[in-house]
Amino acid sequence: MSDAGRFLRILSQSAKAVRSYTLRTVFCLVSVAFGIASITLIVAATEGAYQKAFEIVARFGPDSLLVFGGGEEARATGRRQKTITLDDIDAVRDAFSTAYLVVPMTAMRDVPVSYRNRKYQSLVIGSTSDYSRVWTWPVVQGSDFTDDDVRGLRNVGLIGQFLASELFGDEDPVGKTILIKRIPVKIVGVLSERGTTPTGERLDDRVIIPISTIMRKLQNETTYVSAMRIRFLDRENLYAHVEELRTFLRARHKLPTEEPDDFTTVSPREITKFLVALTGSLVAFLGITGVIALVVAGFVIANLFLLSVRERTQEIGIRRAAGAKRRDIMFQFLGESVLITTLGGLAGFALAFASSKLLTSVAEFPIHFSSKAFVVGMVLSWAVGIGFGLQPANRAANLKPIEAIKG
Amino acid sequence: MPICILEDIKKTYRMGDIDVMVLRGVNLLVERGEFIAIMGASGSGKTTLVNIIGCLDVPTSGRYILADREVSRLSDDELSVIRNEHIGFVFQNFYLLPYATVLENVLLPSLYVEKSKDDFVKRAHDLLAIVGLRERTKFKPSQLSGGEQQRVAIARALINDPDIILTDEPTGQLDSKTAGEIMDLLVQMHDRGKTIILITHDPNVAKYANRIVTMKDGVIV
Ligand SMILES: Nc1ncnc2c1ncn2[C@@H]1O[C@H](COP(=O)(O)OP(=O)(O)OP(=O)(O)O)[C@@H](O)[C@H]1O
Ligand SMILES: [Mg+2]
Repeated sequence: MSDAGRFLRILSQSAKAVRSYTLRTVFCLVSVAFGIASITLIVAATEGAYQKAFEIVARFGPDSLLVFGGGEEARATGRRQKTITLDDIDAVRDAFSTAYLVVPMTAMRDVPVSYRNRKYQSLVIGSTSDYSRVWTWPVVQGSDFTDDDVRGLRNVGLIGQFLASELFGDEDPVGKTILIKRIPVKIVGVLSERGTTPTGERLDDRVIIPISTIMRKLQNETTYVSAMRIRFLDRENLYAHVEELRTFLRARHKLPTEEPDDFTTVSPREITKFLVALTGSLVAFLGITGVIALVVAGFVIANLFLLSVRERTQEIGIRRAAGAKRRDIMFQFLGESVLITTLGGLAGFALAFASSKLLTSVAEFPIHFSSKAFVVGMVLSWAVGIGFGLQPANRAANLKPIEAIKG
Repeated sequence: MPICILEDIKKTYRMGDIDVMVLRGVNLLVERGEFIAIMGASGSGKTTLVNIIGCLDVPTSGRYILADREVSRLSDDELSVIRNEHIGFVFQNFYLLPYATVLENVLLPSLYVEKSKDDFVKRAHDLLAIVGLRERTKFKPSQLSGGEQQRVAIARALINDPDIILTDEPTGQLDSKTAGEIMDLLVQMHDRGKTIILITHDPNVAKYANRIVTMKDGVIV
């Protein structure tokens, strides 16, 4: 209606002033841009972290648990304890009816692996023919090893893609025999590519052989394994199972009540916690910077606008004489501050986008820009524009026409 | 009906503890289409009176009827509407917006009209042609001479087709030749039917008016 027309006419006056008072515009705009940039980055980083967490949990398996030998303390001090036995694993399989996969694993790090004259230090894992299934990690070339391979202590293995290219280059690894320490192992299959964890660990740098083979031939071990991985049919009860499993294993290990656990359970929840902690430091830093920057921007706006109102008293008088109402003056000055902060918000978003490219290229940091980050940035810039523009606009509106016109 | 009826208008300013009465009961009738000059010594209350006539200020007491409407007790918003519809101001110091072009300055009062239906841009061009600034529409005020700026101000005062043009020393900043040109323009507007109320100290300026009233110590004598 005509009111909307009036509003638009006044807004166009705001736009003219924003264009004309360049210095004021630039100062306000830049200070808002920095604040909005940091805050947009936070939103994008938090979203990125959650997305990454979901991805990692999905990969880890939302229905899965991983139980390591050794309590929290032992793991924290770097001492690896072997407390989980093959019998534990059989017992868990029997006791938990919804555990459809219970798979033992034993890991050896930095083991010399070679093919002809190429050598590499890699991670060797012993497991069963269920390894690929329990990690949802398909064999993309060749085939999995079998139960017979495990029962027969055969020297067969699956290889990760990174190690495969280190040892074989462009050659097809399937059917070739590598040496793990002095044991010849025939590669029967290649695992799909998994990439790198947020901590920089190469997941594709590994070789998987039957658990029986690793225990007898590389470790001279009959009883203990490093870990077990369990998948449940009823993922909704996962955290109940964590407790049941704990009681079950404590009983089997005959731990007195005062003794801490001699094993550690990793669930999707732990993984999320870890990731949130990783992101948390950046969020905290940017959060503080962003809030400070926005408050500073707010004060810059409030002061420059008060100055502007003083400088433009006569303009206000002329407008009032020409028939502008108080609220027309109010809208004009608020319009000026909101237009500037909107531009500042857009500039901030662009700045955040550019610096996120830098961040992700320097450190592989999960940042995800969505409409949410944009909306948060815009809403905040409007809030700053209105919040800190209000007082100067009010002062302008409350000037008496006869006083104002005298200048 | 006269366009302005002022009855016993008083205006008191409070200065610290004491009230200073600046207008002491002004009675004045201005007929539609009159060209009236208000003269009087400095401090006699001319500007104070004209501010009330122009609805920039309200009297402390008394009645003021403008275009058949009692306006002495209106709210700030209502006074804004009255100014917008009935009054065109021309000030001594031109008072153009420095960041707006000539055309935008002329259009200023049209921004605040309640029900916009006229083609103000065309009107502004016509008025600029009348005041002799057809070629200057895109200039900024700083690129114009004082006389040209006052012409822009006159065009601005006319954009909403007001009943009254109120002007306080319109030639105060101009040399006598330019002042004559500005006065000729005001006469031209008067000939087109506008009521003109002019304040001046200068008898040469006052003689353009049909009627001269003199103020002394807050009353018309
Ligand atoms: N806001 C105010 N507060 C107090 N006193 C005021 C105020 N405005 C005007 N006055 C006083 O009122 C008196 C009349 O002032 P006004 O401006 O109306 O005079 P004037 O006739 O226009 O004078 P001049 O010819 O110098 O312009 C002066 O004594 C002035 O000091
Ligand atoms: Mg005066």
